Amino acid sequence: MSSSQQDIIDRARRDLAQRLGSSETGIDLELAEQADFPDAALGAPIEDEMSAQVITPGWRIRLKANGKAYEYRASTRQLRLFNFNGENYKI
Amino acid sequence: MSRNNIWAHLSIALVLVLIAAFAGGLRKWHRRPRLVQNNPAVWQKDREPTAETEYEQNQRLDRKSEVLVRFRSGTTLEAITRITSQFNDQVEDRIESVEGLDVIEDEDGASADDVVAQYRALPEVEYAEANITITLDHDESGSKHVHANDEMFSRQWGLFNSGENDGKAGADISAMRAWAVTTGSDQVVVAVIDSGVDYSHPDLANNIWTRPQIIKAYQDDDLTSKGAIDDVVDDVHGFNFVDDNDDPMDDNGHGTHCAGIIGAEGDNGLGIAGVNWNVKIMPLRFMDANGTGTTKDAIEAINYVIDRKRAGVNVRIISASWGSTAKSRALEDVIRKAFEEDILFVAAAGNSSSNNDQTSHYPSSYNLGNIVSVAALNRNDQLASFSNYGAKSVHIGAPGQEILSTWLEHGFTEKQGTSMATPFVSGVAALILAENPKMSVNDLRARLLKSVDVLPSLKGKVSSGGRINAAKAVGAE
Repeated sequence: MSSSQQDIIDRARRDLAQRLGSSETGIDLELAEQADFPDAALGAPIEDEMSAQVITPGWRIRLKANGKAYEYRASTRQLRLFNFNGENYKI
Repeated sequence: MSRNNIWAHLSIALVLVLIAAFAGGLRKWHRRPRLVQNNPAVWQKDREPTAETEYEQNQRLDRKSEVLVRFRSGTTLEAITRITSQFNDQVEDRIESVEGLDVIEDEDGASADDVVAQYRALPEVEYAEANITITLDHDESGSKHVHANDEMFSRQWGLFNSGENDGKAGADISAMRAWAVTTGSDQVVVAVIDSGVDYSHPDLANNIWTRPQIIKAYQDDDLTSKGAIDDVVDDVHGFNFVDDNDDPMDDNGHGTHCAGIIGAEGDNGLGIAGVNWNVKIMPLRFMDANGTGTTKDAIEAINYVIDRKRAGVNVRIISASWGSTAKSRALEDVIRKAFEEDILFVAAAGNSSSNNDQTSHYPSSYNLGNIVSVAALNRNDQLASFSNYGAKSVHIGAPGQEILSTWLEHGFTEKQGTSMATPFVSGVAALILAENPKMSVNDLRARLLKSVDVLPSLKGKVSSGGRINAAKAVGAE
């Protein structure tokens, strides 16, 4: 995995720790894979957001904390948290 | 067609060309279709990279060089006859409106350059030049078609699919046959509401809309409330709704890609050809470097198009390669207003492999009379695996996978998505309007949807059941 991808995972881990109010050490990387997303919002649009309908290559990152999985989606331009308690977030 | 008829047509064409030339109307003559020229060197250059077929070779060898020669005042008819006989040439036509101007045909197979040089060397001759003949080629079925000399044209399977790279020959929009009728018009303006457009791209720059002096600069009372000093913006090349200024430069690339599909300058020996060789792209930026934007800014961009239309700009098409599953009554209302202004709204169906009849995708799913919702096809005339569909709510298919077009830093790249399929349809709509400037939006939409090639793969997937066909749309077949 390239350093840029590792940076993205680190960012995702920090973000999740803040949201859960827990330590980063308790968050495990379950999956990091390349993925094609359906649009420029990585298939994770926030409210009132329109996005370019272009297939966007990136990474799907699945983190696990307290037995629960959380999905982050990243491209070279951005990082998003997908479907966290029913909402998407731009990080 | 008899030989007499051929020369009668040639004479008429020549007179028209000369009139246009003297009126200064040939400003862009070089951008018109010129598949065949009498200058073999130029002809060869124009044909690259497409290999010459045996049929084309025979056609070329059958042609005779023609030159336009203007003899100096006082040169008698007898003297002209003597000169042409000396060179084994014939005076094919006399342009009565210009004293001393004759069309001379070479009879012994010399190149036009050589013939021109012979005449230029004579003291009786004021000038001599090759007759650049705008003619059309025919494919094996006898249909007229026009090639583009753009260096990457052979990679543009959406325009001409030869079957390369495991594609299906003919699975394209029949652009070359359409170009035999029209290559577009700079009187047609297409608004590309997107991430902006790199208006300095060398393959786009000549086709970017510039606000005519006669049209007042854009005025929006809201601008001052957003911190602008003035409520008037000098919208030279469109507008930037992300930053509320006059610079719609693209920093994502998506809008530049879509603009190239609609109207990259064609037959300029550079890059790619757009569906329109000649058109005006109005760049409107509402999505940022990430390729996302707000519904509000999309609405403001559409409002701008309506304002410019009312101000006198002939903007008849909005190309919208974006969307969401969130419904907005306000967005629907402003698109309805565009409908009332006779503006077509071409929208991407979305890339979730889902049925829009069940799960709507906006703005493509609004049930409005000016919306054309576009699905994406691959180079085998199959629905792209990612493309949304809908027997009722998605209307037409267009090439949307492995699509080469213009990109940032004056480059070119391939992208895929219904984003790419959408500008093919917008581009064909612009071709139709080039030929039919007064056509209503209702008729324009109907023409698009009636001009499809019906495909088994699209049965039950799009309402028209087919892939867009530019040639049918402009009446070429």
